[in-house]
Amino acid sequence: MRLPLDERRDEWLRQIAAAGDREQLRSFENEVLGKDGALTTRLREIPKLPVEERPQAGKAINQLKVELEAAVRGRIEELAELELEKALAAPDFDPTAPGCDIASTSTATARVDIPLDPPVGTLHPITIVRDELVQLFTSMGFSWQDGPEIESEWFNFEALNIPGDHPARDSQDTFWLDDGNLLRTHTSPVQIRTMKRFPPPLKVIVPGRCFRQEAVDASHEHTFYQMEGLVVDEDVSVANLIHTMKTCLRHVLRREVEVRLRPGFFPFVEPGFELDVNCPFCSGKGCSVCKHSGWIEILPCGMVHPRVLEAGGIDPERFTGFAFGMGLQRVVMLRYGIDDIRLFTGGDLGFLRQFEEALR
Amino acid sequence: MNISRKWLNRHVDLDDKSAQEILLDLTMSTAEVEGVVAFGKDIQDVVVGQVLKREKHPDADKLSVCQVAVSGEEPQQIVCGAPNVRDGLKVAVIRPGSRLPDGTKIKKSKIRGAESLGMICSESELGLSDSHDGILELDESLSVGTSVVDALDLRDDIWEVDNKSINHRPDLWGHRGIARELAAVYERPLKPLDLFSGFPEAGETRPVVIDDLEACPRYIGLVLQGVEVKPSPQWLQRLLGAVGQRAIDLCVDLTNFVQLDLGQPMHAFDLGEIDAKGIGVRFARKGETMITLDEIERKLSTEDLLITSGDRPVALAGIMGGMNSMVRGATTSLFLESASFKASTIRRTSTRLGLRTDSSARFEKAQDPGNAETAVRHFVSLLREECPSVVAAGPMVDPSGWSFPGRKVPLRRDRLDRILGTEVSSDRVRGYFEALEFGVEENADGFVLDVPSFRATKDIAIEEDLIEEVGRMIRYDNIPERPLVQAISVPPKELELTVARTAVQLCAHELGAHEVYNYSFVPDALVDAVGAADQPYVRVTNPVAPEITRMRRHVLPSVLAAVAPNLRQEVEVRMFEDGRGVLSEHRDEHGLPAELRELAIVFARRDDAAGPSPYAQLRTGVEQLGRRLGYPLELHSLLASPEPWCHPGKTVGCHRGEEVVGYVGHLHPRVARALELPLSTAIASLELRALLRTEPAAAKYARLSEFPTQAVDVALLVPRAIQVQTIATFLRDAGRKLVQDVRLFEVYTGDGLDDGQKSLNFTVTLGSHDRTLTAKDEEKYLSTVRRRCEEVGATLRG
Repeated sequence: MRLPLDERRDEWLRQIAAAGDREQLRSFENEVLGKDGALTTRLREIPKLPVEERPQAGKAINQLKVELEAAVRGRIEELAELELEKALAAPDFDPTAPGCDIASTSTATARVDIPLDPPVGTLHPITIVRDELVQLFTSMGFSWQDGPEIESEWFNFEALNIPGDHPARDSQDTFWLDDGNLLRTHTSPVQIRTMKRFPPPLKVIVPGRCFRQEAVDASHEHTFYQMEGLVVDEDVSVANLIHTMKTCLRHVLRREVEVRLRPGFFPFVEPGFELDVNCPFCSGKGCSVCKHSGWIEILPCGMVHPRVLEAGGIDPERFTGFAFGMGLQRVVMLRYGIDDIRLFTGGDLGFLRQFEEALR
Repeated sequence: MNISRKWLNRHVDLDDKSAQEILLDLTMSTAEVEGVVAFGKDIQDVVVGQVLKREKHPDADKLSVCQVAVSGEEPQQIVCGAPNVRDGLKVAVIRPGSRLPDGTKIKKSKIRGAESLGMICSESELGLSDSHDGILELDESLSVGTSVVDALDLRDDIWEVDNKSINHRPDLWGHRGIARELAAVYERPLKPLDLFSGFPEAGETRPVVIDDLEACPRYIGLVLQGVEVKPSPQWLQRLLGAVGQRAIDLCVDLTNFVQLDLGQPMHAFDLGEIDAKGIGVRFARKGETMITLDEIERKLSTEDLLITSGDRPVALAGIMGGMNSMVRGATTSLFLESASFKASTIRRTSTRLGLRTDSSARFEKAQDPGNAETAVRHFVSLLREECPSVVAAGPMVDPSGWSFPGRKVPLRRDRLDRILGTEVSSDRVRGYFEALEFGVEENADGFVLDVPSFRATKDIAIEEDLIEEVGRMIRYDNIPERPLVQAISVPPKELELTVARTAVQLCAHELGAHEVYNYSFVPDALVDAVGAADQPYVRVTNPVAPEITRMRRHVLPSVLAAVAPNLRQEVEVRMFEDGRGVLSEHRDEHGLPAELRELAIVFARRDDAAGPSPYAQLRTGVEQLGRRLGYPLELHSLLASPEPWCHPGKTVGCHRGEEVVGYVGHLHPRVARALELPLSTAIASLELRALLRTEPAAAKYARLSEFPTQAVDVALLVPRAIQVQTIATFLRDAGRKLVQDVRLFEVYTGDGLDDGQKSLNFTVTLGSHDRTLTAKDEEKYLSTVRRRCEEVGATLRG
């Protein structure tokens, strides 16, 4: 004999309220609301009722269904909250208890007779290349410096001889902040910061994170990594710049290099240059990589503009200097043959764990 | 910008220089040249032919079957569809096996049953112009069988100069500027320009009123009469075509020619459209609009400069003309404009309207107002040559009275040598500057250079600019390299950078974690998920996406977000990042927000995988890290003010004395749920700048004991709530001076113990500096422990 719907309703609601975990709720849903559940069966039997009773019966059953489903959802929430409270309670947590061996790892897949390797971590490829460059330059007496990633207009532009109406100051290139500051668009403001902190002679490198408002695709990123170099002393000349860059690039690229300087314009240097190295792919004969010129543009550089020295508190009559900038991602991409700049950010382990490499 | 050899030859003779030589020399001395194209090479197989006999195609009304003489051989039969093909006409013929510039291969074919051995070409098929008006009709003096390219003298070299590399050189935006550079490089003369000078002193003019001389330092207006609207001569069409400019009619083509020749944009108005009250140069009024030549209605702002006729806008100054003043077919009188506008005014309007033209590109580079006049004179001279009926109806109207004030910049001999690092003879210095049209005076210190006006707008201002001129002319690659010479000094060392580098290496190599780089921006969704939405953030006003305006305050949430997706593939993930956070509430003396440097580490293992607790492992890792960095951490109490993503009851502060420098603990369960991370996920964070503010540990030497030590295992049963530290301290105190080390090796719960109890198993090392310990000492120690352990709620086991 079937109980009237109302009585079963109370019973079902009691069952829901008493469910102690998700599993119990799931079996309740199967028994009552599922394909062959008690309520669904009732719904299917409606056509057997006298015609005049059908609409009312259908309505009642559907109402109940909605009510029960809501109750199940509510209970799920309650259970989650209870679980949360349970997880939040920490009666026996002992902040003084020491940890355990860091090398042991998940035993889920371990076979008893073969011990698992301890987990092996990796450095980010940009870190690998940056640290190598830092090592190289510090071995030549350069000092490693950095500055804030949020900069004022003065440090990022004004002091670097980039006047107010220069295109670089347009909002489409620079990320502006609500406090009137900006995200540094290059590592060059650290030139000024370093000059203000230390008296010449100066030999400084500044690897760091920079930002430009750009749409991201396989070869463009709004977040990028630069390495700035600065040398200031009495009688620093273009001849010294050429020698220094040749020496460095020989080590970075791990080969003999030819370099050539040609005119290039950057407001914070005068004269300014683009520095090319002979193409490693065709040894200067011309190929598609070097656009058949035999040369690859590798970095911009130049003699520090007198106004920049002045902004750094250095007398440009007495001291001269040179500066250069290098795109770290470009070096990393050339070195490992990475073709998508987006891989550097975000942490896809499939990408990161390929760089198990010792520092050299 | 495209540069044509034929065009350059109008200014300087370069016939003896190969295309590659010029490319290299320009690149090394002036501007980057991206490549060179041999114009005409793609149609070199096209030859001059003569139509001997033309007959109507038997099966097609519009086709002709022609017998064409092509060379010594038999006449070839070619089917042609052009209406202008006729007997005796000299035509351009392409033969089977050759290709048209668009790549179409010509084959022997049958057209409606008639055999065709090639094709008679139109100008557009040869890529010479857009003209589809039938086939190209060649001069009858040309001899059959010669190449059309040679017969028409079409061969040219087109160099593509990288626009970015001439942004600072307004003078290089035309052929003459490039020619001047090459003349200097090759030490040969620059040919003079044809400049018209026969302007009448009075006559028909239109007045010009300039509202703002800063925005428009010069505006020259000229009325020309007797202008014929007709196509340009071949030479002009060919030059424009070679650099990719479409020919329209003589007048328009000549304004384009002057722009590409001298870099000076000009505009020709229909005189009939210019109000008798004349021309005005003023800023737009609020709400004003105009329709530009591209038929788009432009809503103007008060920063946009206008050219008006009377008060009605007829051009967007320096950018584009208006629809209403277009030169129409019947025009015989022109009003010619040659002006100079402020670079930033033009750039602002052009950027705001998204309207970049050849003209705006040049004005943005700060054009020389002196060039405006040269351009008018050159234009009139060229126009009169092609159209002798043209007369200047009146004088040039030039109301600003602009004249170049001159600029003298000294160049000291010793400064030049010192900066280049090599010596250049005075004769060569003088020669280069004279070739570049500088005035040169020599004095005791060196030189004083008189800068020409076309280099003075933004390019040459100080001594270093002159040194650059010499450097690029001798070519930097002729400067011999020389090593830096410096006194030995210890470079200043930044502890933060070296400590961070060591920390990063330890995390990877000792903790087995992967280093990740995340953006400095945090998406709103992540901020919500970690419960940190109500903290103050510095925000980007022009973000990459509307939901990513915040600068991250802390690094840890980004690492959590990076871990989560990896756990779908991996059972266990260890990741870390060394990055900056921005605290908007703290500012330095420049108004910059405080940046912290956070090393954030996350250990996560899927809930369904067994293994030691990630927290217990990470805790060991963090302690190891502290010791290895030389800043050992004290982990003894819950973090007093946990971040919203920290489990409030299971996060331990990392202390150095009074300073809290970080934490290690469990992830907040609510955050774990929101980011779909396991509940057991462990997190750690060290603020490196706070860490470095504390005193590093220095190793201390203690005399080695001559006497052996003794290890004693002690197991104590305690209620679960009792802390390890309490018992360890008790064990140390119980032995007074004899205890050298107390080390926990196991915490045991479960079988054989009450639910509320745990067993703490220690190894205690006993020793003395002045004697060997005996069994009695161990007994005495254990009995003290047994007697007093109740004080700390413990019972000695076994």
